[in-house]
Amino acid sequence: MTIDRSRFAQGLTYEGFKEQMTRNRDRFEENEGRVAIAPADLAAFRALPAAIHVAVLAEDWCGDVIANLPVLGRLAKESGKLDVRVFLRDQNDDIMQSYLNQGKYKSIPVFIFFDEAFKELGHWIERPASVTDLRARRRAAVYAAHPEFGAADAPVDQLPEDVRGRLQAEIQKVRDETTPFANGEVVRELRELLTRVAA
Amino acid sequence: MAPTHPKVKITYCAECGYEPQTLDLARALMLEFGSRISSVELIPWDGGTFDVSVDGTLVHSMTRDGGFPATDAVKRAVRERLGP
Repeated sequence: MTIDRSRFAQGLTYEGFKEQMTRNRDRFEENEGRVAIAPADLAAFRALPAAIHVAVLAEDWCGDVIANLPVLGRLAKESGKLDVRVFLRDQNDDIMQSYLNQGKYKSIPVFIFFDEAFKELGHWIERPASVTDLRARRRAAVYAAHPEFGAADAPVDQLPEDVRGRLQAEIQKVRDETTPFANGEVVRELRELLTRVAA
Repeated sequence: MAPTHPKVKITYCAECGYEPQTLDLARALMLEFGSRISSVELIPWDGGTFDVSVDGTLVHSMTRDGGFPATDAVKRAVRERLGP
């Protein structure tokens, strides 16, 4: 599937995507507000030689979309160099099939970057591996510190409801505490990708 | 042997948008077994989970078995625990 200018124009604007969200908009906008972009990173995006079109595959129920699309949105707004259009994954399977994670998973968000002539420059999927690694380590530490949670790979439905609730709270705490690192890693990876391919 | 009424638990990744598959499976079990099952518990979770247990026995795990369960396989697991 090739995205050309006319297909790109059919996508939702970033604000249009927010308008049609039926859930998680509060979390999405909260994440938008929490993104801290270092001046050097912002300068790098502003210094891109030309505006870049960014096609995004997303859905409002996906945690990685809620976490990472706001980072792109803030970069677009503050740099003025990223022209974002959002395509709902489940209504645009032809695009999704060209960007499967590891060739088989419909992971989102997907950010696909194009130059002015709609030549693809590169793409980015889901979340940084460094974030996955950190959260896996932190999650393992939670299980190690709380034997009552059982084994990390055991089905949670066997836990008593109160224990399950405490485990859920601990996992949420890990997410909250690692969010600044995660946002920074998204910015770093996008900056590296774009400054490399758009030079 | 007294008839048993199995408990079914479906743990699904809410962040992954697995609600439709969860509701489809719950609905299929409710329609198939009616009051012969004692409960169908739906547990929202994360991490790409889709686990189904019947009376504490894990009959499907997305992590272990891959993908979503075949509805017929879950029905079979429930049927095996029903009384005569």
